Amino acid sequence: MTLAIDGKEVTVPAGTLIIRAAEQLGIEIPRFCDHPLLRPAGACRQCYVRIEGQPKLATSCTVPVAAGMSVQTQASDDEVADAQRANLEFLLLNHPLDCPICDRGGECPLQDQALAYGPGDSRFREAKRVFKKPIPLSPLVALDRERCVLCARCTRFCDEISGDRFLELYARGAGERVAIAAGEDFRSPFSGNTVQICPVGALTSVPYRFAARPFDLTYGDSVCPHCSAGCNLRVDLRRGDVVRHLARDEYEVNDAWLCDKGRYAFRFPDSSERVTTPLIRDHGLEPASFGEVLTSIAGWVDRGRVGVLTGGRLMDEDYYALSKLARTVFRTNDLDHRRDHGAGFVEGAIAGGGMPVTYRNVEEAKVILVAGLDAEQEVPILHLRLRKAAERGARIVVLHPRRTRLWDVAEHIPCRPGDEAWLLEKEEGRHRPEIESVATAMREAGDAGIVIAGPRLADHPQAVDRARTFASDAGGRFAYVTRRANDRGALVAGVHPWLLPNGRSSIDEDRAEVESVWGPLDIPDRGRDWRGILEAAANREIDVLFLIGVDPLRDYPDAALARRALENVPRKVVQSLELASLARYADAFLPAAAFLEKEGHVTTWEGRGQRLQRVRDPLGMSRPDWEIFASLALACGGDLGFETLDELHEEMGTLLAPRATRHLAVADTGAAPTPVEDGELLLFTYPLLVNDGRLSEGADELKAALADPPFVEIHPNNAGTAGVADGSDVRVTTAAGEATLPARVTEHVSEGSLFVPFDQAGFAANTLLQGRFSIAATIDPVDAPADEDPVEVGAGGAA
Amino acid sequence: MTDEQRRERNFLADTGAVLKGMATVFKQTFRPDDTEEYPKVIAEIPERAHTGRHRLNRHDNGLEKCIGCELCAFACPADAIWVEGEDNDPEHPTSPGERYAKDYQINYLRCIMCGLCVEACPTRALTLTSYFEMAYTSREDAILTKEQLLEPPPELGTTPGAKEGL
Repeated sequence: MTLAIDGKEVTVPAGTLIIRAAEQLGIEIPRFCDHPLLRPAGACRQCYVRIEGQPKLATSCTVPVAAGMSVQTQASDDEVADAQRANLEFLLLNHPLDCPICDRGGECPLQDQALAYGPGDSRFREAKRVFKKPIPLSPLVALDRERCVLCARCTRFCDEISGDRFLELYARGAGERVAIAAGEDFRSPFSGNTVQICPVGALTSVPYRFAARPFDLTYGDSVCPHCSAGCNLRVDLRRGDVVRHLARDEYEVNDAWLCDKGRYAFRFPDSSERVTTPLIRDHGLEPASFGEVLTSIAGWVDRGRVGVLTGGRLMDEDYYALSKLARTVFRTNDLDHRRDHGAGFVEGAIAGGGMPVTYRNVEEAKVILVAGLDAEQEVPILHLRLRKAAERGARIVVLHPRRTRLWDVAEHIPCRPGDEAWLLEKEEGRHRPEIESVATAMREAGDAGIVIAGPRLADHPQAVDRARTFASDAGGRFAYVTRRANDRGALVAGVHPWLLPNGRSSIDEDRAEVESVWGPLDIPDRGRDWRGILEAAANREIDVLFLIGVDPLRDYPDAALARRALENVPRKVVQSLELASLARYADAFLPAAAFLEKEGHVTTWEGRGQRLQRVRDPLGMSRPDWEIFASLALACGGDLGFETLDELHEEMGTLLAPRATRHLAVADTGAAPTPVEDGELLLFTYPLLVNDGRLSEGADELKAALADPPFVEIHPNNAGTAGVADGSDVRVTTAAGEATLPARVTEHVSEGSLFVPFDQAGFAANTLLQGRFSIAATIDPVDAPADEDPVEVGAGGAA
Repeated sequence: MTDEQRRERNFLADTGAVLKGMATVFKQTFRPDDTEEYPKVIAEIPERAHTGRHRLNRHDNGLEKCIGCELCAFACPADAIWVEGEDNDPEHPTSPGERYAKDYQINYLRCIMCGLCVEACPTRALTLTSYFEMAYTSREDAILTKEQLLEPPPELGTTPGAKEGL
């Protein structure tokens, strides 16, 4: 459709708004309420243009283009310019003009556009509207109603994007204002986005309050270190300290959004617990040079058997170097980044499989089955995409043992944890009825049907494979979503007991391909997985245990095993930002650089590699992980073959180039679903978004706003049987241990199961676990509250 | 003109210049002395000269005028000013309104006394005084803190060593 704006012709698709068409021509029209990801509102009236043939001026953010339309903006029409000037004068009538104390001052669309298009003076001499300022909407967001121009961006974000409808416009006329229900907290994990899209200083971030001015900041482009969503963000520093994270627009990944964890958990690189000097255990842990520490480690490695454990938070480059270090220098396959069964034996296909599902595919899908993933809590930006897909009419089905925040837009099939695998399996050629309708819809949708398998499935050795088969049977797409920022990168790099880089198995011709680059490999076909490594360490079958960015006591679902491993293995090498609970155990510490201090890539759950800039220099003596691995290789008498990032990238390019993948038939050693006997419940756990993880250190406002204290969720039927009342304390007993937690009796958890969050302050759920994220458990009331219903007490006595 | 003649002519011109110079010296030698005997005698400075050290002012009720907005730091071409804002305690405010300066420093090794900061200040919190005795023996001393800047500058000539002319 072709139209002319200010006499310049432009061709755009039908339905495009005039303001978007003008953007394509590079014509700037001032605006406040317009946002490309929100529905048109026409609330601020700033974007007036003249449409030839229409008697009155029109708002360009609400009018779609028509063929042959001729539009004049403020640049070519004085009446339009006058109207915009008058509107700005109007918007500023009640604006307090307290720019000097406003956090937006210096980066404020109102300030900028008032200077560019405004009258420069006001005829309004009367008293301005006064509100109490600022009022806290939550521990993260403050609202100053005096500054608000009623553009409704924040309320529309809550309605249309996050679905957490906390904010609303209230009253009318001069008294109209943004409001939240009395006594309510803005308890949405996406609240920070309203601050970023506020075109004035009405919504401000509490953690950034008065922290800096735009001209104080140095900044760089980075990628969020928290989850596998891979949100593009900007890290702002004042004098080298991180003061805030902002979302960068990336319409292929995070649109323009961040979750509150990504936005507000930014203080960990500057934590007082960070250690930036290499340490070696002599009498105590003592500072040493890199050379001394690496030489000592080389000595231990030379004489002993090595195991390598890591988490999912390093960069692709780091993982590649680690994978090569373990295979070529330590000559072992005992390395693992996982903490569950992973995707089982489809991992090879996933690792080398590129990007079968992207955010764009999710957005445009017709049917989506989300199995074993609580998207809002685990990969929040994927949650927003799922909501966007639902908004566009996609049918979303959630197969999960606990109700997720998609409840208002999706169908929910409750299931006991571990049951997903057989639910997705065919029985006599057909699925069970509740699943069959999804299968039918998937078959109709073709490649607009997507199955998303989440970490709950990885607790069962075959479940991810079942989900993948379910997708391929229906002709749909399949994605396996992990939680941590670069789990996928670790998998691709081959930080895995039987997978070499790019999903190559460590047997047959795949191994030869790797050997052509790495040289002959003297490693067994299959190493130990994380559990095997911990057990071997506990049995003293390993002499040196490397812990790279992982804390076994907190991260693995078996606290007792982790402790035994740490107590028994002779040498422990920790490479991380800090020692934390490993201070007692570490024999050597190598200080690693934080994500903003190194250059490299991380891989999203989709498989998309994204580049991180080095925003500041590594603190103290800390160094990027891959550099430490390269130095360690040299100290051990080996050579990884790269000294610079360019050399490393060149080598990665040869081994990680896209390739055809095979479904590897590797014998499965995993166990059957978690056994549960009569009278027992199945306890399952996963980390909530805001937890006690090390990367949330210092994010006190975030925790105050969104963190739950530890709890156990019980289905009313099970609670009744056990005599447990909502809110009372309940003792949860498993084979590994017991814990007393406040009960939440709710139908949102499936019958027969118990949910406890994995890592909330004051309670580590892994003390109840034995190697999986689910376990059989029993519950008893601790002391019956005085006002308990006598019927329930009777039922409890029977149990 | 031969070389001989040229040399003679230069000699006469040079002698003339020397004599002229000597005459100036004699004239100045017997003129009354114009030297300022700083620091033994400190000359009067015009009342509103405003050419010296900064001062942070207070309102009559004792509250600080500075609201920690950092506009002075923004205006400063020498990057000499450091301000950190903070929330006022509503019970015991430091300044009127929400924001006050938790920290305020001016580095006089950087400051070029241009006064742009004073122009930028929206609350007239920052002004220049006439105190110019800003010589320091260490870098740290040359960075004046908020507490120092809130105090009026000392009398001229009271800087340690000033009387002795050190």
